[in-house]
Amino acid sequence: MAVDLRDQGYPRNDHTPKDEPASDRLVGIYTRLGINQEFDISFVGRPNEATSAQWECFPWAAVRLHRPYSQSQFLPIIFKAEAGCAVATPGSRGFDVSPECSHMNLVTVIWSMIASACLTLAAMHLLVWFRKRTAWANLLFALTAVATAGMAACEVGTMHAQTPEEFGLFLRWFHVPGWLMIVTLVGFVRLYQRAGRPWLAWTVCGLRTVTLILDFVFTPNVNFRQITALRQISFLGTSISVAEGVPNPWMLIGHASLLLLVVFAIDATVTVWRRGERRQATLVGGSIIFFVTAGTLQMVLGMWEIVHMPLTPSLLFMGIVVAMGLELSEGVLRASELSDEVHETEARMALAAEAAGVGIWIWNIALNEVWGSERWMRMFGFASDADVTFENVMQRIHPEDRETVEREIGRALAERVDYAGEYRVVLPDSTQRWLTALGRVHPEANGSGGRMLGATLDITGRKASELEIAHQRNELAHLSRVTMLGELSGSLAHELNQPLTAILSNAQAAQRFMAREHVDLDEVRSILADIVAADQRAGEVIRRLRSLLKKEEVHHQPLSVNDVVQEVLKLMRSELMNRGVIVHVEVAKNLPQVQGDRIELQQVLLNLVINACDAMAERSAGTRRLRICTELVDTASIHISVADRGVGIPPDMLEQVFTPFYTTKVHGMGLGLAVCRTIISAHGGKLWAQSQPNHGATFHLTLPVDARSAEQREDKHE
Amino acid sequence: MSDNAQPLAAHDQHEMRGRLRSAQDAPVVYVVDDDPAVLKGLARLLRSAGMEVVTYGSAHELMVQRDLNAPGCLVLDVSMPGLGGLELQKLLAQQGDEPAIVFLTGHGNIPMGVQAMKRGAVDFLTKPVNDVALLKAVSAAIERDRTQRLARAQLDEIRQCYATLTPREREVMQHVIAGRLNKQTAADLGTVEKTIKVHRSRIMQKMKVDSLAELVRIAERAGITGP
Repeated sequence: MAVDLRDQGYPRNDHTPKDEPASDRLVGIYTRLGINQEFDISFVGRPNEATSAQWECFPWAAVRLHRPYSQSQFLPIIFKAEAGCAVATPGSRGFDVSPECSHMNLVTVIWSMIASACLTLAAMHLLVWFRKRTAWANLLFALTAVATAGMAACEVGTMHAQTPEEFGLFLRWFHVPGWLMIVTLVGFVRLYQRAGRPWLAWTVCGLRTVTLILDFVFTPNVNFRQITALRQISFLGTSISVAEGVPNPWMLIGHASLLLLVVFAIDATVTVWRRGERRQATLVGGSIIFFVTAGTLQMVLGMWEIVHMPLTPSLLFMGIVVAMGLELSEGVLRASELSDEVHETEARMALAAEAAGVGIWIWNIALNEVWGSERWMRMFGFASDADVTFENVMQRIHPEDRETVEREIGRALAERVDYAGEYRVVLPDSTQRWLTALGRVHPEANGSGGRMLGATLDITGRKASELEIAHQRNELAHLSRVTMLGELSGSLAHELNQPLTAILSNAQAAQRFMAREHVDLDEVRSILADIVAADQRAGEVIRRLRSLLKKEEVHHQPLSVNDVVQEVLKLMRSELMNRGVIVHVEVAKNLPQVQGDRIELQQVLLNLVINACDAMAERSAGTRRLRICTELVDTASIHISVADRGVGIPPDMLEQVFTPFYTTKVHGMGLGLAVCRTIISAHGGKLWAQSQPNHGATFHLTLPVDARSAEQREDKHE
Repeated sequence: MSDNAQPLAAHDQHEMRGRLRSAQDAPVVYVVDDDPAVLKGLARLLRSAGMEVVTYGSAHELMVQRDLNAPGCLVLDVSMPGLGGLELQKLLAQQGDEPAIVFLTGHGNIPMGVQAMKRGAVDFLTKPVNDVALLKAVSAAIERDRTQRLARAQLDEIRQCYATLTPREREVMQHVIAGRLNKQTAADLGTVEKTIKVHRSRIMQKMKVDSLAELVRIAERAGITGP
């Protein structure tokens, strides 16, 4: 841009050296403030053409002082040239042109900005990487940014180079950040975008490395065989240097690596796009493709001197850096959003947990610290700010439940399975609550320690109603039992009468023997032994009766089904005899035990036997046959059947007989079978009826085998 | 059940006693109860009172093994598996054997007792039974048996005597016990009064009676009725 300052009223004194056409470089000189109009500045030639000591050299121009001036006489002279602007201040030998001022042209400004922006970004992301060593994408980005800054510096170096050697040197070192740039870019695509073919990635990096090595093998660099001269061209209003020389064909390897990089980037972008991450594909992939293509083009055109232009890849790569930075900052943004979301989710969780009455806890096993939500702390009677350890928690658990809980948690930790349990806690004010807890083990990466997370719920209310139901069921079972024994009272009295008769007869016989003159002591001893035996028998009957009549809590224990059958038949002996019922018992030998309540199981069998007898009451005496069988089914359950030859049950009544208050008996309450079914269900078994009308009915019941008994049995077999 | 060791022993005992009895004719108490302890106790009690006792574990054993001719009585438990006391009584009666029976029951009721008594039981006692009551009942039963046997023996004798009569004499005897005069009898039978007189004296001689009144009494007892 040529401006003639003379038109603007500035004094002008053209002193242009003959050998230097100043017109293409210098437009005009002006003094903003001239104290003395006599001084005189000319811009001439290039620095290397300066011949006089009075010429002060600087890259763009020289100032010739025509006369010596004292320093005080001069204020800064601002002159303007195409290359930029500089401030000249009077120095001892003339004007000292301060370097920073001398570089304060648009090129310097832009490139410095690129470099500083890149370094700032690099610093930020390095910091992120330092904090979180797994954030490799951030490290790669930081390196890319550093490389871009380095490239920018080298580019400025070439543009401001004074000599071909200087230019060559800067261009050689330019390849170092260039190599870093490309390698980190490839790494970023592979790591962050998780795309791109590995073989392409390796080829690009390999070719680039070869280029770097060649760069240091050749002099001055991989791009030039020889730089013959520097040519000043005008760029962004500044005069900059571009090289003229013999291009080095080896730089084709570098260009190939760039081309491959473009291919690699396209391939990766397509993959990312197909994966559905379109924004990332457009932003990062698109910018890489575009800017690398542009950079390649520039390198090819510039280095082969097809077009004279300065080296500005950093400007292009800055675009990539910006895109990458944007993408990464998007991640940061997302993380912050996630964090917000997490907070919100946490708040919602807490709300939900509070509303559902769930207490949340986390047990850090290595540190033995238990964190609990406020509700959880309340559940265990801890102050909300208390430091809680596992032992503290165990201390709160009811002594009877403690061992089970500890064992179950130990098992969960050892086998890495979920924990689930119900237990009582005793709070400091000695109130007792029922809690149910679920826990999951989260092991540490190295397998040791880890954490256990869980939720706890207060189930005191539910437990109370469960106990209430169990209690009522128990009451009903007892009622049914008493009713049933009432029906049997005659036979039971007979059972008791027999030993009493024996006792009385024996005792009175003894009295009579004793009254004789010669007492047969052997006879008396024998009598006494018989009395004792009969008494024990009577006691046994009473004990059996009492256990059935007593109202006791259900007590499950391992027991033999065959024993229960025998006990019931003993109780029913007289009854069966009076009713003229012939019993066939077929019990399987070596049956494993079942877990059950002896009294309740006796009750069920008693009920079935009495029903069977009732069903056969109408039959003629010889045909009243009852069959009781026990057998093992599938090694997991025991099957008991009670079959009669009575009137049978119509098919549509087979289920109805189990409903409460259904009865065919005149004095029955209709509770017997309903209670029996409840009892068997509570034992984990099944009770059902089968019948051929007029040929009798069979009641079947199954009971699960006691696991421990089954194991012992297997051991025995081995 | 009959192969059981104990009943066999009881049987031997019984055989031995049977032989002894033919000499002494002492009454035997037969006790039947399915409960061995009760059976043993009752037997002891009866023996302590000096009675001869034979025990059976079931009605069936008794049926098979008892010597019908031996004097004595039965002590039966009402409720036993298989054949109960009352059924046994019924069965024996059907066979024309009506021994003196004392019933024992654990849970007796009135209808059951009435039925037993109607069929001729001596007593119906509930368990546990007191020694006095049992011994009294057993004694009464033995006494009844004795009387019955005596009566039966007399009846047998009458029948034996009656069996010695000729048909004509039996005809005449029927008329005599009907209270008809010799003359009437002679007219009915188409003979003379003198012949009837001869028959009559022969009848009195054969029937071992001295008076007409006595003849009428034993005839009544033996169930011999008029024409």
